[in-house]
Amino acid sequence: MDMIVTLLMIFLLVTAFFMVFTKQTANAVIAFPIFGSILVVLFVIFQAPSVAMAEAVITAGLATGFFVITFNKTKDSRKE
Amino acid sequence: MVKKLYKLGLVVSLGMFLFVLFSDIHNLDRTSKNYLSEHYISEGVQETGAINLVTSVLYDYRAFDTLGEATVLLTAATILAFLVPVTKADMLGTTFTIIVYQATKYLIPFIAVLGVYVIMFGHLSPGGGFVGGVVMALIPILLSLTYGIDFSEYKLTPNTKKVVEDIGAIGFILLGLLAVLTGNNFLANGQAGFPLGNAGELISAGLIPYLNVMIGIKVGAGLAIIFNSLMKEQ
Repeated sequence: MDMIVTLLMIFLLVTAFFMVFTKQTANAVIAFPIFGSILVVLFVIFQAPSVAMAEAVITAGLATGFFVITFNKTKDSRKE
Repeated sequence: MVKKLYKLGLVVSLGMFLFVLFSDIHNLDRTSKNYLSEHYISEGVQETGAINLVTSVLYDYRAFDTLGEATVLLTAATILAFLVPVTKADMLGTTFTIIVYQATKYLIPFIAVLGVYVIMFGHLSPGGGFVGGVVMALIPILLSLTYGIDFSEYKLTPNTKKVVEDIGAIGFILLGLLAVLTGNNFLANGQAGFPLGNAGELISAGLIPYLNVMIGIKVGAGLAIIFNSLMKEQ
């Protein structure tokens, strides 16, 4: 169990750094629900099912929808 | 290069700040300062009637904070619906295959049942009003994404959603005022003498299930209003 937790923590760090340092906004938008899903598994392991449910629904579901809509509606100003 | 170092420095400083904060919290004096959480854990089921201790804190001990959070969402939804006075709806530049349309059609009843279950069993199992409301809000959001915003607003008009959200907000306050009528504090539940019932049954815990329903329909309607307001364009 300890090894699983350590692996998940490392993946959490990797996805978080990827979200901040990636060049394209689309990659960051898609990495965000992956970050949320790993966090959900960690919350379930640490026996916080209520927080895990809120995280799964809000971060991985709703916030990603908002981000995708916003990304679709806006243009990259650097390319023009 | 400088920009990259700047970003790296920001992340590292945030990490250091969080590390100091959490180590301080972790090393607090354990015996003297957490009598409140021990009280919640040992007396919470008898005092509120809810098995789920998170719900008993959110809707009984700290119900006034929940009212504040709900007010934040109500204000955001109202101002967004007010600031985007566009009547012409704009579709996203995507058309789907028939698989997506049929899958959405068969998915919506399951989402509705899941949302109602999470709201109604908020005091017995993980979940509660906020999560169930977000699950219910996914139905109009799915409709707007796949079938277009015109169809979504034909099925659930914005006026209906606004009325439902207001019913949730006002109903929460009226349920809180019920306790005032009996001569107790605002949003008091167990102390005001409402019948708590047997802990673990569906209809128990006094006012908590009704507060859950109010918060659920309020959050669901509010998030649907926010999403549709953000999707519209001139």
